[in-house]
Amino acid sequence: MTEMLILAVVVLGATFALALLGMLRQGTPTDRILIAQLLGSNGVGLLLLLALLQEQLALLDVALVLAILSVVVVIAFTRRGKEQADA
Amino acid sequence: MKAGALLYLDLIMVILMLVLAIGALHARSLRHAVILFIVFGLVVALAWARLRAPDIALAEAAIGSGLAGALLLAALRDRRPGDDATRRAPVWQSVAVGGLVTALVVLLAWAFLEVQGGRANEPLANIVQATLHESGVSNPVTAVLLNFRAYDTLLELTVLLAALLGVMSLGPQRSPMRAAEPMAAGLIGWLIPLLILAGGYLLWVGAHAPGGAFQAGALLAAAAVLAHLGGRREFQLPGHTRLRLLAVAGCAVFTLVGVSTLLGSGVLLQLPSDWAGGLILLIELFATASIATALFLVYLGGHPPSWNSREVHPDA
Repeated sequence: MTEMLILAVVVLGATFALALLGMLRQGTPTDRILIAQLLGSNGVGLLLLLALLQEQLALLDVALVLAILSVVVVIAFTRRGKEQADA
Repeated sequence: MKAGALLYLDLIMVILMLVLAIGALHARSLRHAVILFIVFGLVVALAWARLRAPDIALAEAAIGSGLAGALLLAALRDRRPGDDATRRAPVWQSVAVGGLVTALVVLLAWAFLEVQGGRANEPLANIVQATLHESGVSNPVTAVLLNFRAYDTLLELTVLLAALLGVMSLGPQRSPMRAAEPMAAGLIGWLIPLLILAGGYLLWVGAHAPGGAFQAGALLAAAAVLAHLGGRREFQLPGHTRLRLLAVAGCAVFTLVGVSTLLGSGVLLQLPSDWAGGLILLIELFATASIATALFLVYLGGHPPSWNSREVHPDA
């Protein structure tokens, strides 16, 4: 069981790094914010696995906060002000 | 096997943090820099989780990555064409800032070594654990923040209030958003109650597990930010008197508790252990309201119409 969890952690860590490489390469701001969202979900997964592996259930709360707030960031990114509405 | 594999994760995290920090500093546009900084906050939160410090991971996730991200994106929206052009600072400025940062790092390293060297005395964590039962809460971090070192937290709230007053004097707030499209509006309608619920949960759970006023305040502020982003007119800030009361409530209640203990036992903020749990919850409740108010008003980037009574009623 623990081996499976560790394997999942390593795979998630690797996808984290790969997604970040994609972000650092050329891309539109929209690509980047989408990758940031992917990284956010990835981070939630890592936190959930770490909560089990390190036996720290408080990390579940961290995952909860991260999951809710990463949506706030993407809404903040996509909304435009009044004056830019027709731009 | 377990420690070794997790070491790879740590290694990836360390490299990612450095790459992200350098990337955010040297990004070609401010927008890219902001996105990299948001991801940097996420990786830092993960690093704190790996260091077994869930309290700091929670604060980093709530404030560093979440709310600061929304704040920076709002600031980004204010920029005018040409702001992206990078201006190089004069050499003396770079040298001065570099020198100050180096001095600060040396000071911190010295303080760290001093504390480590002082282990001949009892480590602080042991003292906290030994006296935890007198604090009124079972989470050692909350016990330190709101009981053993309550004075520091009171000063932090005061700093936040000073920052708020600074932003309020800058000018009127950012213009309100137009109403969101149906998809975004639906999402926002779901998220606001969730954020308020999670904020209340973090405030309550802070007594025995990581959580507390700052994280709860950040989540409540995020709910208000969402209402603003979605152009929801039904969410209005309270009038000027109540808004000001909300902004100072945390500092005021904290100071009142401090003064009462000064009168009762002769020591400022020496919470009596029978009442400590209730008093901590009382302080945290008002601190949460003030922190949420401060963070949201700072997000607005200036004073809302309801801040100044003269602007609401020009004839009064």
